[in-house]
Amino acid sequence: MKDGFRQSMAWLHTWSGLLVGWVLFMVFAAGTASYFKDEITFWMKPELHAISHGSVAQAVAAENAAAYLNRNAGNAARWFITLPTAREPAVGVLSIKPPPPAGSPPAERRRGFDRAALDPATGQAITAPRETRGGEFFYRLHFDLHYMPALWARWIVGFCAMFMLVAIVSGIVTHKRIFKDFFTFRPKKGQRSWLDAHNVTAVLALPYHAMITYTGLVTLMFMYMPWGPQVAYKAHGGTDTFFAEAIPGGLRTQIKPSGTKAALAPLAPMVAQATAHWDGAPVGRIVVHQPNDANAVVSITRAEGRHLSYEQPSMQFNGTTGALIGTFGDVPKAAAETRGVLYGLHIGRFADPLLRALFFVSGLAGCLMVATGLLLWAVKERQKYAKALKQGGRIGFGLRLVDGLNLGAIAGLPVAMAAFFWANRLLPVDVVGRNEAEIRWFFIVWGATAVLGLLRPTLRMWQAQLALGALLFALLPVLNAFTGPAALTVSLRSGPSSVAGFDLVAIALGLGLAGAAWLVERKRRKALAAPRKAVKPPPPTELTASAAAGQGS
Amino acid sequence: MPLLGLVFAASLAGFCALSLAMDRHSEDVFGRGSTPGAWRRWLQLGGTALLCLSLWASLEAAGGSVGWVLWLGALTAAALATVGLLSGLPHRFHWIASAAGGVAFLSLLFCL
Repeated sequence: MKDGFRQSMAWLHTWSGLLVGWVLFMVFAAGTASYFKDEITFWMKPELHAISHGSVAQAVAAENAAAYLNRNAGNAARWFITLPTAREPAVGVLSIKPPPPAGSPPAERRRGFDRAALDPATGQAITAPRETRGGEFFYRLHFDLHYMPALWARWIVGFCAMFMLVAIVSGIVTHKRIFKDFFTFRPKKGQRSWLDAHNVTAVLALPYHAMITYTGLVTLMFMYMPWGPQVAYKAHGGTDTFFAEAIPGGLRTQIKPSGTKAALAPLAPMVAQATAHWDGAPVGRIVVHQPNDANAVVSITRAEGRHLSYEQPSMQFNGTTGALIGTFGDVPKAAAETRGVLYGLHIGRFADPLLRALFFVSGLAGCLMVATGLLLWAVKERQKYAKALKQGGRIGFGLRLVDGLNLGAIAGLPVAMAAFFWANRLLPVDVVGRNEAEIRWFFIVWGATAVLGLLRPTLRMWQAQLALGALLFALLPVLNAFTGPAALTVSLRSGPSSVAGFDLVAIALGLGLAGAAWLVERKRRKALAAPRKAVKPPPPTELTASAAAGQGS
Repeated sequence: MPLLGLVFAASLAGFCALSLAMDRHSEDVFGRGSTPGAWRRWLQLGGTALLCLSLWASLEAAGGSVGWVLWLGALTAAALATVGLLSGLPHRFHWIASAAGGVAFLSLLFCL
């Protein structure tokens, strides 16, 4: 009975992992990159590298931002002001235009907001940093995908995440010797090495894998399972009431304009009062509802600090008098706090750079776990064809398909990610629709690697794509030196440190991919030296874990 | 800073000790046929103690909630490093392990 259970779990593990593995690899890789999405975005705007931002008092930065918005968006429906942090030195402002009068042309309705980055000290807009989605692209890609409605994408990714959860649990049951094989990795032993690599990357980062998969589902739980609040609040105004009660002071607050003009009270005293209320913790975001209207409300949210929870306490002030309306979330309710902590663990915004790096390492281990799992299936399946191959036969369609998809997903994705960064620096700065152009290059390159992989899933192709990825990543610092003011030699000495960090990680990923390419070369030589009975060179069976070390993001 | 050093050094040294308490990895490091013998119990005890020490340091360094996350992250990194050292540098493994233990000891002294 026990063996029967274990075997059925092995079957479940194999298929739940294989069927969604390629999507999961992309989700893991893009999600891992998202831990540094602010740094990636900053790297992708070299115009900002040369500006040194001395630390500016938050109250001053808020006043400067309000002055800028008053000049440029005085009649907006809402302002969002994101105050600078160590990771994001500029003030981010966003203003939402009031809804256009009925019957206006649709072109006017489409673009409902304006965004700008301000120098905190002067309140001047920073001159035209190039248009780019930056790290936000990877962040969105990992749950919204692209070229499809976000809602569908979230269902697809949620479906894959559910399979991942099944694969994790069934994998733990299947793995008989978790503790005996805890440190075991035997290189150069074919299928054994693949299994070891899969086990090591899965088991050693297991707390992370289980956490990230489960909390990933929690982040979208009201979409996947909306029925609880729907039923409970059916007679009380629906889910909007639920959110207003569960997460008070949140962004969903809607304030109607009165139509009477009234000057906005200064923000600085409100910022000071909020900071004092939170024992000196800095302010993260300021939302001004209906600025310059008699009904104006200012909502101030605490900055993410060393708190696991994603939900931060907030305070609301009357926008014309500056009087305190209320404080929210100082003592969060248990259920809201639980969700906030699970959500917060997933996005990891509480983490300092060191902890962020640890999340990144665990994320890379996740990429390797998925990659080795996919390759392991192909290695095992190939053995069934060993005899046929010796007699010059062919492998089955399923295996060929998996080989091709593995190549395009695992070796192709790093090439595409690197191509995205190259496009960012090489496309003309003033080209129309630059955001989308960069993203198009990502998908063109990924599509090309996938098609080539499906056409010729050979060791040569693995080697070519891994080597190309290695080259593109390792040369990113060179590209940065020629197209931006903060070359590695400069950034290491005098900052910005996030640019130096990006360049160093790019070199490390390049080296990892180069190592993988080198191991494929060794394998290919061995296959050539062996008596040449087989007509086709056998595809990879022996990349080691260290080889695959760069196959992550 | 010494607290963070303690977190990483103690978890690396702890996992190294735990791996050396196993016959297979004892053979990796000291050659075929060698077993930890009477040391096994002490290596296991010491390894566990070092991991506990690392937990204490994480909780001290990052607080009661984030500390647990830091500890689990450090454990993952240290265990991956241990596996890498065992397959990559098996003959220098015990020196690196001792060095990690030494760093852990020094940073503990510094913290106390």
